[in-house]
Amino acid sequence: MKKNRLFALLLAAIMLLSLLAGCAGNPGGSDPTKDPGPGTKDTPKPAAPVELNVVTSYGGDDGNRKSYENAVKGYEDATGNRVQDASGTSNEEWKAKVLTDFETGTEPDVLFFFTSADAEPIIQAGKVVDVATIRAEYPDYASNMRDSMLAVASDGKNYAIPSSGFWENMFVNTKVLSDCGVAVPGPDYTWDQFLADCQTIKDKGYTPIACSLFEVPHYWFEFCIMNNGTLSEQLDIPADAGDAVGQKWAAGLNDIKDLYEKGYFPVNTLTATDAETVQLFGDGEAAFLIDGSWKVNYFVDNHGETLGDYVISYVPAKGERKASEAIGGISMGYFITKKAWDDPAKREAAVQFVKHMTSDTVMSTFVTTEVTALKNGASPAGLNPLQQAAADANAYITGVIGPVQDAVSPECKAELFANVQRVVTGDMTAEEAVAAAIALN
Amino acid sequence: MNSSSTLYKKKGPLVVFLVPAFLFLVLYLYYPFVQNVINSFSDITGLGAPAQGLNDPWWANYATLFTDPKLRTALGNTVILTVCTVVFQVGVALILALLVDSIRVGAQLFRTLYFFPIVISATALGLMFNLIFLYNGGMLNQLFSNLGIIEKNIDWKDTSHFMVTMFTPVMWQYVGFYFVILVTGLNNIPQDLYEAAALDGCVGLSKVRYVTLPLLRNVLCTCLVLAVTGALKVFDLPWVMFGAGMPQDQGWLTGTYMYDQTFNRGNVDYGSAIAMLIVVLGVVLSNVANRVFKPRNDL
Repeated sequence: MKKNRLFALLLAAIMLLSLLAGCAGNPGGSDPTKDPGPGTKDTPKPAAPVELNVVTSYGGDDGNRKSYENAVKGYEDATGNRVQDASGTSNEEWKAKVLTDFETGTEPDVLFFFTSADAEPIIQAGKVVDVATIRAEYPDYASNMRDSMLAVASDGKNYAIPSSGFWENMFVNTKVLSDCGVAVPGPDYTWDQFLADCQTIKDKGYTPIACSLFEVPHYWFEFCIMNNGTLSEQLDIPADAGDAVGQKWAAGLNDIKDLYEKGYFPVNTLTATDAETVQLFGDGEAAFLIDGSWKVNYFVDNHGETLGDYVISYVPAKGERKASEAIGGISMGYFITKKAWDDPAKREAAVQFVKHMTSDTVMSTFVTTEVTALKNGASPAGLNPLQQAAADANAYITGVIGPVQDAVSPECKAELFANVQRVVTGDMTAEEAVAAAIALN
Repeated sequence: MNSSSTLYKKKGPLVVFLVPAFLFLVLYLYYPFVQNVINSFSDITGLGAPAQGLNDPWWANYATLFTDPKLRTALGNTVILTVCTVVFQVGVALILALLVDSIRVGAQLFRTLYFFPIVISATALGLMFNLIFLYNGGMLNQLFSNLGIIEKNIDWKDTSHFMVTMFTPVMWQYVGFYFVILVTGLNNIPQDLYEAAALDGCVGLSKVRYVTLPLLRNVLCTCLVLAVTGALKVFDLPWVMFGAGMPQDQGWLTGTYMYDQTFNRGNVDYGSAIAMLIVVLGVVLSNVANRVFKPRNDL
């Protein structure tokens, strides 16, 4: 009897201990207000290969996915470390997931993320390490970059090492335009010409504009508000819907509504995903698509046989804006998290990873026509037809500015873009949508 | 007296074995639940961020529950989903169980086939149904178009069709779950009763009505409670297929709206209040289901 009791107690104790098995180790990084790490230059090299958790936006159908995978493999072969990649496709859900991971202590070791207002929550929480601190340990960190082009956070420090920049402009399916008898837009393309062309294209049975207003109205929003203002005013944020900037935003939303009411977006623009509408463009069923430089390699990988059907053109302009003015800049970069920095083994691996991914050689595989912060510039190996078309279009660009949506809070942006579909269907006025968004900024 | 025969008279060892599971529940269920209640009264602006005191007024989130139009939509859709779950999931499962119970050859095969959808990940199912309902080149539109049933593609996710498109995969996935429970219940009905009933001429549908269903009452009640509470929590399939409120904020369910508020909008305290609402509704509806269908202990 005593033996049975002892045996039962032993089993219960083992079960209790097994509950605590996962509780060992650092719960998620040290106090961010304390000094970050030992601060010595003699960081011991890891004895064994390190597994590095990395999150980037080069997931899904990103145009740079292949370049990213090749670069990661190069790093793994050179260092023996292993990269646990959890990259995703850059959209609002992905951004929310990244921020949530930081808030719940499950952040990666290296993060490739936006350097705008989107990154402020993780910067202010002390969850990422600033460049100056890294350089105190690794003086040659990002030495190939122009420091003046590193993004500056609200506290005046640099945190991210930029990768390639981006531009946003109009992709055009020349086969569709040719079939409709519409000329490829030039740098003097006007809004009125655009409306006339869209009607012609629609009458021919094609979809004029490939855009998912449900998922990605972002690009049309940026250019439409620029069309109601000027390039230099693009980054102004309204204090309320009634001021001049608020009215500019409302006018931009109303322009999108006008395009929707005229039937220039896909029939299912309010229920389609971005992937579906881009597919529409790629399959030669839509004429115009506003997207970014990251989309070039997507067409190379997925529509290689019809690559010659696409060119980069100009978003139509009205008012004081010129069609040769575009959205662009460097908006993303590599962050090293405090979590990795406080782990001596991962610190070394993370620094080597970022240095590798932002080296001149690797950057040249990502960059074609985008701006970079590289001191020596990038040396892309050779441009495919679409990249050449982008280079040709960019030669006529007269002004570039960053997107204003990067300057507002994630909550404001989520509210604004979620309400675009309500504005176009008349469920909500543009002014109400602007007011609702600004209230969350 | 043999020591092993006295083992079950002593409660001590049983308590010792129950304690670890209880501690686990306290840590991972009851503590988060209590914390969630506290969070619903607090001012929290991001997941993992500390509360900035209580809301002003402290019941602000619960007041918003009554005025939020999207939540009203979510509740309405969830009620419809609950009714559909009861009628179609449990109803179809009952019919299939009765049919399978009445055959000898192939009964095991059908059990496996009908149970199979449950083992497939809801995300994979969502992606599959997305392809079926795709506007351009989706299976349904292609089929209907080739058969001449439609001339223009149907947008299966628009305001006219989204409810059927959202509920059909959810119904399809969990019919097998209730089917297995009901088949097990049917197997527990003694054959003697059927033989005795047959002697009195009670066969076919009469047998089902007067013998099978009354004896299956308790199992049916369990299935209905599970269906009702399950409908309140549905998230994965609708989220993969429809995302945030598609179409035009008319496609919200309580589960998807709670997720969107908490994880996409960072409105953690309001998300907690919605979670509390789901719990309250679950308890109320399951109690109602229990009272209406009155499980009996004399069967």
